[in-house]
Amino acid sequence: MFIEENPRGVQSADIVVGIPSYNEADSISYPTQMASQGLVEFFGNKNSVIINCDNNSTDGTRDAFMNTDTQVPKIYMSTPPGVRGKGNNFKNLFRKSVELGAEAIVVVDADLKSITPRWIKNLGAPIFEDFGFVAPLYVRHKYDGTITNNIAYPLTRALYGRRVRQPIGGDFGFSGALADIYLTQEEWSPAVTQFGIDIWMTTIAMCHGKAICQSYMGRPKVHKPKDPGESLGSMFAQVIGTIFDMMIEHGDFWKEVRWSKPTAIFGFGLGEMEMPPPVDVDVERLFDKFVAGFMEYGGFWKEMLTGNVYKKLSEVMALPLAGFEFPANLWAETLIDFAVAYKKGDDRRERLMASLIPLYLGRTCSYILECEPMTIQQAEELIEDQCSVFEHSKPYLLKRWFEEA
Amino acid sequence: MKKILIVDDEEVIRMLYAEELEEEGYAVITTGTGHGLIELVGREKPDLIILDIKMAEHDGLDLLQDIRKDFYNIPVILCSAYSSFKGDLKSIAADYYVVKSADLTELKQKIKMALEGHIPFDSSAT
Repeated sequence: MFIEENPRGVQSADIVVGIPSYNEADSISYPTQMASQGLVEFFGNKNSVIINCDNNSTDGTRDAFMNTDTQVPKIYMSTPPGVRGKGNNFKNLFRKSVELGAEAIVVVDADLKSITPRWIKNLGAPIFEDFGFVAPLYVRHKYDGTITNNIAYPLTRALYGRRVRQPIGGDFGFSGALADIYLTQEEWSPAVTQFGIDIWMTTIAMCHGKAICQSYMGRPKVHKPKDPGESLGSMFAQVIGTIFDMMIEHGDFWKEVRWSKPTAIFGFGLGEMEMPPPVDVDVERLFDKFVAGFMEYGGFWKEMLTGNVYKKLSEVMALPLAGFEFPANLWAETLIDFAVAYKKGDDRRERLMASLIPLYLGRTCSYILECEPMTIQQAEELIEDQCSVFEHSKPYLLKRWFEEA
Repeated sequence: MKKILIVDDEEVIRMLYAEELEEEGYAVITTGTGHGLIELVGREKPDLIILDIKMAEHDGLDLLQDIRKDFYNIPVILCSAYSSFKGDLKSIAADYYVVKSADLTELKQKIKMALEGHIPFDSSAT
């Protein structure tokens, strides 16, 4: 069920650009303009439309979007009052895109400050070259995207064998056929209707064997960066909970996957890379929250982690901030233990996810300390090495997941 | 017997690689052009592809993306006389990148690793 305003009466479209939002009145106009320019410049021979899929924002997002001057027609859609969630916005977008008969759908965040018209081309053009799903590839500051770097990317890659660097990048391209698949999935958990939607879409594309490519955006993603110690909230539980839910759903698929394969790249070739703006992180706060987490959840962890992992975590906890290290292999095994516990225990999942946060902050603290003297490129290599560690941990996952079932 | 497809527009290179790799016990097929490459891969189903980058009529990096689209699971080793293409983001779609040399030790090692599905711990090795 949704609210729709379609002033130009658009009945069909070859390509749709969707912009999900909630209270983005001060920022949505810019990505809307860029989307329109991109559609005109690169898809001028196709019917196109821009759709703002909103959560009934109260700050004037609808007016900001509809009053933006664009050559391309616009549609405003919203969930009913009181219904929130990025995933719910996407569900409306999938439904409308299928109804319009769209061949390609591009989605971009409403708070993007660095989007250019070329982003629309790079996310949309591969779909017209028979790719089913396009993930973004952009230079991010080494401290930005720590859930991606330390959980979503390495875990997804080790599970499903595809190297998609930004599986929760927020900006994607996908085919109308894949939108139809999304729409008909039964596994729309509450987390998927919220921030779990990105990893859910990426995972389904992988599990359905869609041709996947990564598209280089040419500019860094500049939006509203967040200090990982400052604001995690429910987003963490929604994203990680969805990863674990998908592990349960697609066990028959990922148990057969060994190692990982690179993914096709679309976009720029050699050239200068624009560096992203700095992201400030309070390392001491991350460390303090990790230590405090041990005080709060230590007994709980001892109960549900394997003895060896708990023992090693206790050793890490005893380290001072100067010289603090949370090794990647321990992090991989910790996440695997959490995934197994999540699978086993419906009644304590909420506590489980809450107790994972301090461990994630501890691993993030270690990662930041390690890559502090590194360039962005060197930090990328560190992340790749961590992915290798995750892939080498897969036998541990298989043993725990299937043999203890 | 594992089958390797060599894509290189230099006949001398194709002959050298074919001879050396056949001695290692691989079945080798070669092509000097990117024309019809995807059809060839579909027909021959090689276990691994060695792909030149700078060819007279084709850009190996673009061919690599086409291969990944239809056959993402086949290991591909980029083999170029130039190391500079490592700086092109498109090259990360390959399993390994080897700079051409008369000594094929590194290439043979990478072939073995790619066929076994190994991933390098040191990402700079790709």
